[in-house]
Amino acid sequence: MQYQMNEFLFAMILTELEDAVGKENCSTRAIDKVTHSVDYYWLSRMWADRGCRMPEADFVVCPKDATEVSKVVKIANYYKIPVTTWGAGGGTQGGAIPVCGGIILDTKRMNKIYEVNTEGMYIECGTGAIYKHIEWAANEVGKATMHYPSSLTCSTVGGFLAHRGIGVCSTKYGKIDDMVLQMEVVLPNGDIIYTSPAPKHAAGPDLNQIFIGSEGTLGIITKAQMRIFDQPEERRFRGFLFQDMTGAFKASRELLQKFKPSVMRLYDEAETASLIKKIVGVERKGAFMNIAYEGVKEMVEVEEKILLDTFKKYGAEDLGSEYGEKWWKEKITFFYPGHMMDIPQMFGTMDTIAPYGKIEEIYWAMKEAIETNFPQAKFIAHFSHWYEWGAMVYDRFIIEGKDVPEDPVEALRLHQAVWTCGVRAALAHGGVVNDHHGVGIKLGRLMKEQYGPAMQVFEGLKKTLDPNGIMNPFKLGL
Amino acid sequence: MIMSEKCKQHVDSCRFCWMCHHICPIGNATGHERSTARARALGISLVNRGAIELEEIMDNIYECCTCGACVHDCTTGWDPVMFTKETRLQAALEGKLPGYISALVDNCLKTGNAYGKTEICADLSAAASAHQSKTDTLLFLGADARFMACDQAVKAVKVLEKAGVEFSVLENEAPSGWQLDFLIGAANETKEQMSACAKALDCYKTVVVYDPNDAKAIKQLYKEYGVEVKANVITFTAFVASLIKEGKLKAENTGKKVVFQDPYQLSRDLEETEPAREIIRAYADLSEMLLNREETVWAGNILMAQYMPDVIKLVAERRIFNAKSVGASTVVTACVSEYVSLKAVAGDVEIISIEDLIVG
Repeated sequence: MQYQMNEFLFAMILTELEDAVGKENCSTRAIDKVTHSVDYYWLSRMWADRGCRMPEADFVVCPKDATEVSKVVKIANYYKIPVTTWGAGGGTQGGAIPVCGGIILDTKRMNKIYEVNTEGMYIECGTGAIYKHIEWAANEVGKATMHYPSSLTCSTVGGFLAHRGIGVCSTKYGKIDDMVLQMEVVLPNGDIIYTSPAPKHAAGPDLNQIFIGSEGTLGIITKAQMRIFDQPEERRFRGFLFQDMTGAFKASRELLQKFKPSVMRLYDEAETASLIKKIVGVERKGAFMNIAYEGVKEMVEVEEKILLDTFKKYGAEDLGSEYGEKWWKEKITFFYPGHMMDIPQMFGTMDTIAPYGKIEEIYWAMKEAIETNFPQAKFIAHFSHWYEWGAMVYDRFIIEGKDVPEDPVEALRLHQAVWTCGVRAALAHGGVVNDHHGVGIKLGRLMKEQYGPAMQVFEGLKKTLDPNGIMNPFKLGL
Repeated sequence: MIMSEKCKQHVDSCRFCWMCHHICPIGNATGHERSTARARALGISLVNRGAIELEEIMDNIYECCTCGACVHDCTTGWDPVMFTKETRLQAALEGKLPGYISALVDNCLKTGNAYGKTEICADLSAAASAHQSKTDTLLFLGADARFMACDQAVKAVKVLEKAGVEFSVLENEAPSGWQLDFLIGAANETKEQMSACAKALDCYKTVVVYDPNDAKAIKQLYKEYGVEVKANVITFTAFVASLIKEGKLKAENTGKKVVFQDPYQLSRDLEETEPAREIIRAYADLSEMLLNREETVWAGNILMAQYMPDVIKLVAERRIFNAKSVGASTVVTACVSEYVSLKAVAGDVEIISIEDLIVG
């Protein structure tokens, strides 16, 4: 659906977009187009590494609020130009790449913090705000957002909402979809709407949850009220070593029926022996698990006792607090170049989620599928978001540079094949396409395989809200 | 484009890394994705791979203020400032500088300052005339103060006079070279300016450097360039703090509530955060803004305002917002460039310099 414009029409549309957002916030400069063509998606990075240009937008616009966003989408709808919303570009699924050209709508000018409400315990902000900035705003009044993903400093509020992000303290404080009260959304026709003033209601389906995770295909979230929390009086860590993951699953399931730790991270033997050894310093065979529990001091004391008693029952070796504290301090270090996988390696995170009873089976099925079909790939995993009913597996494949084709198209083919294989294994054993990175262009083709006829609900919404199909085409399988 | 292997390694590490996305003062103020270290690195890496022309990224290369917030934030020590400056040098060597930068460079070479100024204002001329005789101590005012904010330069002179310091002020100062370093990096012309300045400074036992831009150049960059300065070089804030400690400046705390805008050149590059605070605490009640000391947020400068004034305004406005967020009504500055930038957008917030605190 690449939109071909003649020079005259291009110039006309440019003047309209400049009128909508201001000349200085509307660009056709090469640097802007290039910058918005590569996000954290491995394929876009590989493409650029090989000296190729990814698909680029024709226009890059940076509106300051919903009114300007509305003007932009009205222009786009009239001329039937694709609109791809860009937060900060930290997504791994290619969700922000303008594969059909058209308009990139960068949200980062919408970064205003409108209100820090310590009575209602939320911050109202533009969705272009980097999450770290709202964390700072919360910290200034002695509160915290408790949303601490590795991408805290590099992703926007809107980016997390659009892809259903999650932070390391999710077990206690919830996922991004648990953290939002009301949202302002600009629909593809330019209408500005508000979701209900409170998220827990019986006034019909939850509008928030229609737009959260929709990846810019149904509208553009422009403002949101994000929850804040009291800083815990105390946060304690405890590291454990399980002989195998089965014991860790049983122990964790039992623990979660009793209380909710903030951080729960279980590493498979391969990741314990690689990343954990490198960053945290645990050099032992087995499955390392890190638990944090926090809140009111008296409660923390009780929780610690429950934790130690429960894990002891399942044979966990108590490694004390040192490794956990080190992990907390270094939790973002993992993701800096030099520590993290990087080109020329090929790699990906195939996170999925399922109830206990299925999740470990999924892990083994995905591991077998990847290692059998792609013997050049290494498979590592950890389980880092837990619920009373199940857990998420964050499994990764890594192929060393020497085994990655130099030809970009061949590299793309291999990447696609590994992903299809891994995700199909997850789906076959009761998993989902993705847990918290979203779908983007990377996994869109697999959405119908997961949802079957249920996909028509999403397609119906898309057709009604975006009849011209201009909003982030080819993402989310829509 | 010819680029050192070291720079290429840093470029290729930063091009796909988003971790300092939150910290760029220009990116945060404009909301423009191109003003991030990773965007700049991506652009350079594509030039190195022949996918884009150097000329197409040069405007963006000059949208970096080189404040080093990204460098400071990086856990693994990658250095976007280094590759940005090396790209500027290469563009200069290849004759690919944007026209508006070439004009500033020409000014530096012809007049010693990027603004092309040759005359200082009458007030500063009068103030300086009382300090023409040779002493052991030189007050080095720098181009920004002499030509673009001479009222502040006059006040700097008055501060030392108030403390009874015997000092000299030069009618014609040699440029420290910081502006050329910013504009074209480690070119021969930059080193020549620095060498000439070092020679002039060596006529004094002590050189008190008023502008943190010059202080950073003389105390830090000269070593990188292999330029030796024999004189004892001290920043204006460190010198004034010592005058207070020695009782030469009698301070009285008025109880005025203020916050301090740390210049990154002092706090990050020279690791000097406390002298300014000691001065301020002697005259006023100091509280801290979000992101202070070595984590400070650059608040604008006069040089970049020559070619991107609207962006500098946005940068300064954002820092004013930080001040207001902690309830501050007065911001104290220690860098004349930040003083001018903040003053231009201050609204109901009072912007004063260290000198204002001392001599009114």
